[in-house]
Amino acid sequence: MTKSLYGAQDASAIWVYLEQDEGRLEGVSLELVGKARELADGRGIPVVGVLLGDQVSDLAQEAIAAGADEVRVADHPLLRQYTTDGYTKVFTELILEGKPDILLLGATPNGRDLAGRIAVRVRTGLTADCTDLKLEEETGLLIGEVTGFGGGVLAYIKCPDNRPQMNTVRPGVFAVPEPDTARQGKVVSVPVKLAEEDIKVQVLEHVVGQGVDITKAEVLVAAGRGCQGDFTLVNELASLLDGEVGWSRVPVDEGWVSRDCMIGQTGYVTRPKLAIVCGISGAFQFTVGIEKAETIVAINVDPDAPIFEQADYCIVDDMFNALPPLIEAVKRARGGNGGR
Amino acid sequence: MRPLHIIACVKVVPKPEEVKVDPKTMTIERGDVRSEINPPDMNVLEMALTLKEQHGGKVTIVAMGPPLFTPYLRLALAMGADEAYLLSDRAFAAADTLATSYALAQGIRKIGEYDLILCGEESSDGATAQVPPGIAEWLDTSQITYVEDLEVLPDSGMVKAKRELAGGYEVIQVPLPCTASVKVGANEPRFMDMERKAWAEADGPVTVWAAKDIEVEAEMIGLPGSPTIVDGLAQAEATERKREFLAGTPQEQAKALVERLRSYL
Amino acid sequence: MSQSVDSVLLKDETWERVDKATGGAAAPCFQCGVCTAICPLGLVKGETISIRKIVRQAQLGLPGWADGLWECTTCLWCESRCPHEVDITKAILGLRQLAWKEREVPEGLPTLLWDIYFDGNAWGRPPSERPLWTKGMAVKEFSPEDDVLLYVGDDAAYDRRIQKVARALVSLFEAAGVTFGTLGEREPSCGDAVRSVGHDEYAAEIIDANARLFQEVGAKTIVTVSPHSYDMFANLYPNLSGDFRPLHYSQYLLELIEGERLKFENELPLKVTYHDPCYLSRRNGICDEPRQVLQSIPGLELVEMERSREDTLCCGGGGGRMWMETAAGERFSDLRIPEAAETGAEVVVTCCPHCLSCLEDSLNVIGKEKLRVMELAEVAHLALQSQAVTSDVASGRS
Repeated sequence: MTKSLYGAQDASAIWVYLEQDEGRLEGVSLELVGKARELADGRGIPVVGVLLGDQVSDLAQEAIAAGADEVRVADHPLLRQYTTDGYTKVFTELILEGKPDILLLGATPNGRDLAGRIAVRVRTGLTADCTDLKLEEETGLLIGEVTGFGGGVLAYIKCPDNRPQMNTVRPGVFAVPEPDTARQGKVVSVPVKLAEEDIKVQVLEHVVGQGVDITKAEVLVAAGRGCQGDFTLVNELASLLDGEVGWSRVPVDEGWVSRDCMIGQTGYVTRPKLAIVCGISGAFQFTVGIEKAETIVAINVDPDAPIFEQADYCIVDDMFNALPPLIEAVKRARGGNGGR
Repeated sequence: MRPLHIIACVKVVPKPEEVKVDPKTMTIERGDVRSEINPPDMNVLEMALTLKEQHGGKVTIVAMGPPLFTPYLRLALAMGADEAYLLSDRAFAAADTLATSYALAQGIRKIGEYDLILCGEESSDGATAQVPPGIAEWLDTSQITYVEDLEVLPDSGMVKAKRELAGGYEVIQVPLPCTASVKVGANEPRFMDMERKAWAEADGPVTVWAAKDIEVEAEMIGLPGSPTIVDGLAQAEATERKREFLAGTPQEQAKALVERLRSYL
Repeated sequence: MSQSVDSVLLKDETWERVDKATGGAAAPCFQCGVCTAICPLGLVKGETISIRKIVRQAQLGLPGWADGLWECTTCLWCESRCPHEVDITKAILGLRQLAWKEREVPEGLPTLLWDIYFDGNAWGRPPSERPLWTKGMAVKEFSPEDDVLLYVGDDAAYDRRIQKVARALVSLFEAAGVTFGTLGEREPSCGDAVRSVGHDEYAAEIIDANARLFQEVGAKTIVTVSPHSYDMFANLYPNLSGDFRPLHYSQYLLELIEGERLKFENELPLKVTYHDPCYLSRRNGICDEPRQVLQSIPGLELVEMERSREDTLCCGGGGGRMWMETAAGERFSDLRIPEAAETGAEVVVTCCPHCLSCLEDSLNVIGKEKLRVMELAEVAHLALQSQAVTSDVASGRS
């Protein structure tokens, strides 16, 4: 076995990477703090958030409100922007110093960039894209549930000997915890040993829009191949329902839209109350991103489309036939409520 | 400016729609499943070959897997790559990403000096995206993940790349040697030249290395080298959906639907 | 042409490679310009393809020489009027093969070839889904004792609209008591898509492998849905077994009618016109058979468009165009629909998946409500239905 740099007997606590960008915490980090809290509560394990950045300590309070007992803040000008070099170095030092038992990271592009490197640097196991996390009764080992081929199979992965047990989780898999602003926690400022020569990455441009976060949408209207690039009706319906618009992989591949609001296995996992899925066939790569919805409506011209297996209400029709009367009906129904 | 040596990591994967799991034994039925080159690895090959055209040099394929990979590596040679190395040994099997990236890194070390290592962003079967950063760490190179576009700046020994982030992008510059993971769809992979394909099939240099042929510690490869283990499989429970088909004209269906969705309006 | 050059050094190799690629096809050309003048592209665009210009640019090795090479649908109109019988298509396809070698091909075409290579079909759909078009019908695997091997093809297997044509054919075969089977999941792509985008070398591999497969399974009479598959089998495939007999379904239906295995007893009072697919009429001289099938249906009235039989106007789908973007307003089928409507016909009948798709797309855009597009197999199948059904259809109720 490739030995990790410290053993299980020296390890304790659940650490959660608090990913921030331009002074804003990623939602997935708080989702993970919430989950960690849940796991920890049964066993009296501390939940520690790890925050890296430049002048970001005020974000610590958000993590505490979400359930962290402690936040270790590594604050340094050279950490202002994410770089693999700087973040891996500092984080590794924190790990070797604090010896966490478990380390959870959000599976964002930079989260995965970092997790993959850290895991090798500290010689430990990393399980990607977990759909659930549990602690094993007898051993307290973390069990990561991952969806296997075809979405119909679940695999349970453990990392028995190496530490920390590292897992990444996609945004939207766990719910954002209700913030408890009265919660108290420790904020610890950790010394950062970082020099310019340590970072060989030059960030020339960094453009991250204030994009829509569809993982938080309560109502989602999604379109796929059937829209042929025309999102007018979908936008209108979403707007009427105070919802957001998402899409499957096809519109992205066809070049009609960017990946921003792509739902599915390689996109976002959403958990809306209501999802209206139009012109999407319903391959599992898409449905894994929508199956947590409370109610799913599917509109598809093909009566055999697999999406109908996953829907509560089914309309077999071209979305361009079905949506206009639906939009009218929604307007009438809401008009009766005095609008919103 | 010296020509570039580009290492392209390739994986052969089962076609996603073909993989079936036997619900009784909970094992993957590998029988007649058709395979393909992992889609982003096709984009890796295109990027590597374009860089070779721009800068001169060589593209070497590296893969780890069973002998069934070989014909696919010859396809990569047919596209324009120069030679291929396949790490193939029972000892490498059942590896998780730590052991996989270690073995690949050791294989690359054995191949010799390189400038750029390109990998697909993730594989369609494992989909962890962990091997590229792993290779970068084992070999202590710089790292760029989720590359859409990559430029080598020969005079400065730097690589400049555009990376995709959630809802945005970044342009970064790092020194060579560099390991980069390439996004699926970053380019359009060129089709093979048939004359070159004939050469690739007959004479294409494909070297197969067993564990003993490269320097690896036995306890760091394959199952022994894998800190993570699969502790069990289960059938996923399907949420019971109503599956109610609404009938009538579009207007009637809309009315019926709105009735059912009252609480959301 | 995207670049201007002041002067070009003429090299023998650049010249010779064109000669080699085109097999000298352009040699008999004496530059009369008839081809350029009559190319149907002139009907939809300002400029037609100037094949002589492309050849010249290629000979000179000018960058961007292949631009414009891809507009050609290989409709053969130019060839049919060339006074020197120049094999213009051979020159165009030869230049396309050269373009592949020099990597001057339009976006999307390398993906097309990879789709065929990895998925066995031009649409990149899963090979395991190839037989799904048969849902609910009894279609078995071909065995050598069967009357015919039904070669379905990529379009009829995967395109929901064209699946209906294959299903109609199956019903017709059943009604005629024809024993038949398909190659199921094993059915390979016929190679026409590869040939038409000019990758001759890859097409040769496909032809070789498929011809051996047909021989191995003992296929003799093979009936195709598409004239393009028919053209491949009849003109490019070697007759390995000696009794390989490819037919387009219009020919086979006529055989069944003439052999009295297929009879139309009910009246189908429809006024139809027939659009000849280039690859049946001009390319293979198959003009009578589809018409004779139509005329054997009682009550059916067939009216002709002016540009019919070997003078047919291409639908725009050949030459690999189905995998390339054609700007709205530049589609030949946009011209064909009004022409069909002018005959007063209720239905324009064709028998080619490309023609069907192009004509229906244009019809959707133009919107002539009285006109419909149907495949020959669908009309024939309709004619077998009960009198009630056929009356419904005739009065436009279904």
